[in-house]
Amino acid sequence: MTSTRSVPRETAPAVTSLPGLLRAPWAGATWRGLAQLALGYLWLVTVGLVVFDLVLVAASLVPALGLGLLVLPATLWLARWFAAAERARLAAQTGIAIQDPGRRRPARPGWWGRTTAELTDRRGWLATAYAVAGLVVVTTFLSLAVVAAGSAVAAVILGVHSVVTQPADLSWLLAVPVAVVLAWLAAVLAQVGTLVTASLAQAMLGVSPASAARAAQHAAEAEARAAETAATSARQRAVELTETRAAALEAADAERRRIERDLHDGAQQRLVALGVALGTARRAAETDPAAAVTAVEHAHTEVKETLAELRDLVRGIHPAVLADRGLDDALSALAARSPVPVRVDAGPDLGRAGSGVQAAAYFVVAEALTNVARHARATRAHVRAAVVPDPEGPARLLVEVSDDGAGGAEARPGSGLAGLRGRVAALDGTFDLTSPPGAGTRLRVELPCAS
Amino acid sequence: MRIVIAEDSVLLLDGLTRLLQTEGHDVVGHRTAEDMVAALTAPDASLPDLLVTDVRMPPSHTDEGLRAAVHLRSLYPDLPVLVLSQYVEQRYAAELFAHGSRAVGYVLKDRVADVEEFLDAVARVAGGGTVLDPEVVSQVLARTRHELDDLTPREREVLALMAEGLSNAAIADRLVVGPAAVEKHVTNILTKLGLPVDADTHRRVLAVLRWLDRNGEAR
Repeated sequence: MTSTRSVPRETAPAVTSLPGLLRAPWAGATWRGLAQLALGYLWLVTVGLVVFDLVLVAASLVPALGLGLLVLPATLWLARWFAAAERARLAAQTGIAIQDPGRRRPARPGWWGRTTAELTDRRGWLATAYAVAGLVVVTTFLSLAVVAAGSAVAAVILGVHSVVTQPADLSWLLAVPVAVVLAWLAAVLAQVGTLVTASLAQAMLGVSPASAARAAQHAAEAEARAAETAATSARQRAVELTETRAAALEAADAERRRIERDLHDGAQQRLVALGVALGTARRAAETDPAAAVTAVEHAHTEVKETLAELRDLVRGIHPAVLADRGLDDALSALAARSPVPVRVDAGPDLGRAGSGVQAAAYFVVAEALTNVARHARATRAHVRAAVVPDPEGPARLLVEVSDDGAGGAEARPGSGLAGLRGRVAALDGTFDLTSPPGAGTRLRVELPCAS
Repeated sequence: MRIVIAEDSVLLLDGLTRLLQTEGHDVVGHRTAEDMVAALTAPDASLPDLLVTDVRMPPSHTDEGLRAAVHLRSLYPDLPVLVLSQYVEQRYAAELFAHGSRAVGYVLKDRVADVEEFLDAVARVAGGGTVLDPEVVSQVLARTRHELDDLTPREREVLALMAEGLSNAAIADRLVVGPAAVEKHVTNILTKLGLPVDADTHRRVLAVLRWLDRNGEAR
């Protein structure tokens, strides 16, 4: 749509500036205006009047047993079609685009709803009125412009005739300014006529200022709502991140406590006991060699057990096989250690997941399999790991551990499962534990591959 | 003598029991502080000659053993108690010595591996003496080092051993010097620090600790 300020300047330069006025008779706007008035006249006097008459007739038939009600919607629909055609004509001839105001939507479905909508749509009635109003405007300006132009031509002819027949008579001198004024008047009328036509069409066939304002308000409200939604989701995200960060810290802290506890209760105690055993052996060496040998054997066993325990502890901190051979082999190793038979289905490209994500997946499976062995009373378990594409973001690593055991597993606070849930949440993953009593357990964790 | 041990690690409990039994003691073991307190506060309970307890034990794995020891000391002020701690915690030592330092010991668990030292601590605490782990002493001394600038290095060495609870004779033994030399050092130290001259080991320890503690706090 051309901006409001430039419409008069382009359509009627003669009334907006002095150079425009001086150039009026040979300006493009004049000829375009004249053509528009001429075609508009033909169009309105034929189709426009027919539409107007049809609506009028239909409306006048309403009192006659309501017959008009049957045809009036159709004629009003015709009027709106006519309005669309008129808007297209003006756009083609003058370059002024008038926005389609749209139509009233039926408040209720069905024939009656459609009829009422058509009848109460002011735009249909305005289009009908425009057929006449437009015709009046176009006819007026066209006839005035034609008369002015014709008079200008007549003045020139009269002037020339006077010069030829009565050279002594100087009245031809008067004919020159008259012709000039009439020519300019015709040009200005052509331009102004088009401007008035366009303004009338804008007012009657375009979007009403009230509904334009309403539309602007709706748009502003929608924008405000969108902004509010965005702000709300950002706030939610912030809350979520704060929570998961706290959970991550908690999980890390719990992990450190577990390692400290394991070292305290395990290796450290064993080493002290080992010291006691060796000290006892040394004291006994002189007096009771047999007792000393027993104590040393005891110490030897102790050393081997301490080593095994340290190995397990180290694996619990970060399994070497995961770093060396990847998640696929690490999961197979976990399955091999499980007392319950485990089938492992590992998809390709597990390496696409970040190392933190792989480690989390590993510990999910490790904890789940430990629970299966300890509590589930299952006969078999199934581990599935795969990288699945996510259309809305980075690919996700899916890990699922299921068994056919007793079910009833819960992620109680302070339990290994709760710790895992914190770890998964910290990586923006989802944690889904399904464990109905008596129907097996399924733990499903999804983690974004990039972390 | 009769010794009660509270220790949650089966292995260590086993090792200590075996060690003390080969030394000819009568040993009763408990796995938790609660069991130990229950056994010693029963109506027909007879007090042992020594109580050896770990600090950290089930159920909360924090300081159950220490609290049990402090509780039992408040019930039976004469019960000799030797506390084995995984870590050097001055606060633990302070709580333990709050009810007097006679027949109290606080040593790092790791010392147990040095069987002679452990047996020595057992004998000293059971005999009414005071044993404080060298680690705790050196921590306290490190904290108050600049207060001790007036002492000669030898005197500082002697002060540390005094704080551990050694008698003059034991200090002389440890430093391989004569008892007269130790006596002279001790008198110098106590004079320089303005402490009462006392031959009683545990009262001496108490005075030294109190002095160190006060000066440590003042920093």
